[in-house]
Amino acid sequence: MVTPAGTESTTGSARRLNQPQRALVEAHVDGSPRRVDRSAVTLVREEWRVVDRWWTEEPVSRRYFDVVLAGGEHMVVFRDEEVGRWFSQRGS
Amino acid sequence: MFVIASIVIPGFELRAALRERPRLQAEPAALAPEPATEALLGPVTATAEVAGIRPGMRLGEALATCPSLQLVDPDPAAAEEAWEQIVRRLEDAGIAVDPAAPGCAYFETRGVERLYGGLEPALRRALKAVGPGWDARIGAARRRFAALAAANVARSGQVLIVSDEHTREFLSPLPLTLLPLAAGQREELQELGITKLGELAGLPGGAVAERLGPDGRRAWGLARGGSSRRVRGRKPAAELLETLEFPEAVGNELTLRRSLGVLLDRLLARPERGGRALRKLALAARLVGGGSWRRTVTLRDATAEPARLRAALGSKLLDLPAPVVALTLEVLILAESVGSQLELVQPEGAELRAHLREGLRQVRAGTGSGSVCTVVEVAPWSRLPEQRALLVPRDD
Repeated sequence: MVTPAGTESTTGSARRLNQPQRALVEAHVDGSPRRVDRSAVTLVREEWRVVDRWWTEEPVSRRYFDVVLAGGEHMVVFRDEEVGRWFSQRGS
Repeated sequence: MFVIASIVIPGFELRAALRERPRLQAEPAALAPEPATEALLGPVTATAEVAGIRPGMRLGEALATCPSLQLVDPDPAAAEEAWEQIVRRLEDAGIAVDPAAPGCAYFETRGVERLYGGLEPALRRALKAVGPGWDARIGAARRRFAALAAANVARSGQVLIVSDEHTREFLSPLPLTLLPLAAGQREELQELGITKLGELAGLPGGAVAERLGPDGRRAWGLARGGSSRRVRGRKPAAELLETLEFPEAVGNELTLRRSLGVLLDRLLARPERGGRALRKLALAARLVGGGSWRRTVTLRDATAEPARLRAALGSKLLDLPAPVVALTLEVLILAESVGSQLELVQPEGAELRAHLREGLRQVRAGTGSGSVCTVVEVAPWSRLPEQRALLVPRDD
């Protein structure tokens, strides 16, 4: 089972590593991020899609962006196209 | 009889971050939340307060209230440096200071009262030593918490002395925000109609402890004036630091780890160390965007072994939020002794496992059940990063 991005999942008292965190993202018309958590995006290093489990009732459709912010910080953010929200995630 | 004084500089981190940008001091500005933390504002400027912005406000709410609000990135290294300079100026004035946190320090006045001709002249001298532009204020009382409360009530540049017999009376009308209580506990008290220190102090201690636990019992004790524990001045820190400046910003973990190794080797070779092991270190970096980053590491066993130091400090490099242009390693505390008793036989097998269990038990005792976890890979092939591994608590 896949927990929707941004919700806590526990198995007993175990918890998942690299759970997505909600992010504040302003996007360009083409869907690529323009500002992440109020910082301007200076470079999109890589972009990829993850489409999975489309045959189940919990499909996953994410558009990932590896970005460099104005302060030089690296971040990986994705738009969950199932729920229409942005998240950041480590270990992507 | 001794008197404890507390020096307080409100919003110290913001003031330190604005030293480089003094123009912002007259504008609505606030310290931005740390990356990867809850989006709550830090200290704010006086102009921002006039515009209705309060420290601890949610970022979205603050920007809606004051759209011209300027967010200032935290600069912990600059704050640490500025605070160290202030503490040294106080020490140069003959005051044995116990720095509690950046922007807050305690000292006993008995030693300097004779030097400066009385309590108030000594406190005025301490204010002068802090220097202009910090808006410091001083509270003095027989008890540490009463002195801190007085300093929080005092205006900029003011010295407020509370006599022991008037301590309870002085504390009584003050708000609960002065107490080191979690927001939830403070709200719980407010729901019970308790909003002032005097109202809390009037409750039975046992009932407060039962309702709010040890933190509540401690807060109750503070509301009654707190303990009259003496203040011990710090031992002046040795200037033992090494810096490496990079020709261009470095974000590569391998390069950073190698740089850390070079800094460690240089530090361990410094003659001022006198063969003593390192107990507490600080790793700081100047970031490419102009901000800074700093982490302190206290070693359970003081050591001068490069491999152990590299292991303890190397993991901190993963927290760096951006590429760095300079990396600094500083020794904050050196061990007192030169040598340590080594084991004749290296532990192994069951003995080593027993050591590990004991270490984990100590961590759990300090941080609570569920704090020691094992990473269990469950689907390392998954395309979804959060599906690959679980953190499973170890309570064995």
